[in-house]
Amino acid sequence: MKKNVAIMAALAAVTLVVSGCAATADDTSAETAPATTETVETVAVSSVLDSVMEAGVVKCGTRDALPGFAVLQEDGTHVGFDSDFCKAIAAAVLGDAAAVDMVDLETADRFTALQNGSVDVLVRNTTWTASRDGGEAATFLQPTFYDGQGMMVTADSGYGSVSDMDGAIICVAKGTTTEGNAALESSRLGLDWEVRSYDETELILQAFLAGQCDGWSSDVSQLTGLRSAYPDGAEALTILPEVFSKEPLAPAVLDGDTQWAQIVNWTILATIQAEEFGITSANVDSIAASTEDVSIQRFLGLELVSDDGSAVLDPGLGLPSDFAYQVVKQVGNYGEIFERHLTPLGLERGVNALWTNGGVLYAPPYR
Amino acid sequence: MSSLPSAPTKPPLWRDIRVLRWAFQLLVLALVIAFVYWLYGNYQTNVARSSIPTDLRFLDNPANFTMPGNDLDQSQPVRDAFVQGFYNTLRVSIVGILLTTVLGTLVGIARLSKNFMVRTFATAYVELIRNIPLLLLLTFMNLAVILQTFPRIENAWLPLNLFVISNRGIAIPWFTGSGGILLAVLASALVLTWIVVKIRGRVSDINGKPARGLTWGLPTFIVVMVAGWIVLGYDWVLPFVDDRATSGGLRLDPSFFALLVTLVVYTSSHVAEIVRGSIQAVVKGQSEAADALALSGGQKMRLVILPQAFRIAMPALGNQFLNLIKNSSLGATISYFELTQIAQITVGNGSPAVPAFTLTLLVYLMISLVTSVIVNIVNRRLALVER
Repeated sequence: MKKNVAIMAALAAVTLVVSGCAATADDTSAETAPATTETVETVAVSSVLDSVMEAGVVKCGTRDALPGFAVLQEDGTHVGFDSDFCKAIAAAVLGDAAAVDMVDLETADRFTALQNGSVDVLVRNTTWTASRDGGEAATFLQPTFYDGQGMMVTADSGYGSVSDMDGAIICVAKGTTTEGNAALESSRLGLDWEVRSYDETELILQAFLAGQCDGWSSDVSQLTGLRSAYPDGAEALTILPEVFSKEPLAPAVLDGDTQWAQIVNWTILATIQAEEFGITSANVDSIAASTEDVSIQRFLGLELVSDDGSAVLDPGLGLPSDFAYQVVKQVGNYGEIFERHLTPLGLERGVNALWTNGGVLYAPPYR
Repeated sequence: MSSLPSAPTKPPLWRDIRVLRWAFQLLVLALVIAFVYWLYGNYQTNVARSSIPTDLRFLDNPANFTMPGNDLDQSQPVRDAFVQGFYNTLRVSIVGILLTTVLGTLVGIARLSKNFMVRTFATAYVELIRNIPLLLLLTFMNLAVILQTFPRIENAWLPLNLFVISNRGIAIPWFTGSGGILLAVLASALVLTWIVVKIRGRVSDINGKPARGLTWGLPTFIVVMVAGWIVLGYDWVLPFVDDRATSGGLRLDPSFFALLVTLVVYTSSHVAEIVRGSIQAVVKGQSEAADALALSGGQKMRLVILPQAFRIAMPALGNQFLNLIKNSSLGATISYFELTQIAQITVGNGSPAVPAFTLTLLVYLMISLVTSVIVNIVNRRLALVER
């Protein structure tokens, strides 16, 4: 027994030191940094862009079974809205949309994977929140999809709106903003929901099919995808009209590498800008050959001919000058990506339309 | 130079076995410390680079989620969520250990039964269950038994109208009023029963007649409980189906039920083997002596064999109890809100992973060490005192 106590004390001491307070962290990091081995320092110095160029592949954190956003096919490739943005980043940086390594991540592991360098970028239906920005060492970038949380019920349940669901059991995905939003909505409407959370969509589906859950709450885009793939047919389910949260789904990179963050940001902005210009994967070559529009020439990395000679705009992002051309040519513009994956699910453009069409997608000028 | 040491009583320092032993141990210790320090340094460097918080301040942030069956308001701090998770882990562990001990012992005895059916059934149970991975068993329990075999709430089973069984949980009759006071009544009933049984033992020692502890103790217990129940005005509440939920009574969460049953069934198969082995390890002469005293089969088991078997079984049983406690973390896969589930949820919602999981790890460590201390105390009391 004495031995036990001694071991307990020793282990407690070690772990407490490891999880120790911020003050000691600050003190020691200054001292230990020069003393640590060379490998640590080279990692600290090298940028994500360098390691991506060296590896010749972008490691993109994604998921494997979310209809419309990222679905793992039988041949091992990923297809979906999120997957296309992974490919767009690869096309922009490496000039090859296929040079991407899709890493399937569980929801609870996604930030850890980003923190330890298992993935270069996270494009995985992740809501941009202040706590995640601050607490997970993640930098969130231009949202790819502006979503909101909704509620799905069976069509024969008789629920017509969220406020009918007094005392209901709501099933959600674990470790997501969904849990908090459901709890908040429940207390706001005084509904006393019981919120159960599961790791995997498949487990929620099983609980839902068996009638253990009254409602399935998630982002409306996800619910739409799940509804379209429901075993009993999409008509068996109803998505209630209320949307009770803001869920901007945004890609994220690790804090501290501004260059890489800008690269990912401008890749996404390029798909939006391309749609605004009306450039698609089908007409990008003919536009590049014939356009007289200087802003399109700048955007596609074409030579700007003037009296003093010609020049290609290099804004200094660390990207090849023709990155936008590669993205549009190999993957497509935002509208194409949306129509390819989300329109078949029955999702409308809605707030995700260009600002010129009453939406919120607005790319800063490329010049 | 010419004078040789007259009598080399001491070998040189580098060949002195005592010094070498110490030096070697110190070297190993230094290496371990250096390794841990190196890991810690790496951790600090990496964490500082990616600006991840390393302190426990996240415990004061609002939890932002609710827990089924627990009074956790979403504005309460993460700390309270961890405390509730700790209670839930304890709840399933304590009930699980009690049930496992009973079931495991019964199956262990059944393994040695002379009755062919009983023996075969017990053997089949042990061999089937202990050779299946626990996670698989739990998933099966949740998906196949709870979700598919149990009825929907609309068609809930109502055995005797006392219980409501559906895939939303099992509601049992419960009482109105304060649980704490009833617990006090239960405690005083147990103490009184214990005193009565002790007195009977003394009387038996003096007059040599059988103590009959059970015949005296059980009525004492029942009388105290019933008297307390009536005097304090307790009453039963029966559960019933109210729309799509159950009202009244005590509702056992379906995930609690699934986890508890799985842990008990699984751990019992191991406990049964330990109990069987320990019974067989009691020397045969004890059994023969009991036969010679004309003790009945039950008496022989209860008074002679089992007390000695448990002395042998106790350390191994302690390990199984620890396994059960640690395995309760699998409840996170079926939405049972125990410690691991809480850690996963809070980390997913912005709490820093390393401190949160370190804290969880330390709590498990604490529970396990306290359990082994208790097991060791019991073991010491059971152990033969040799002079």
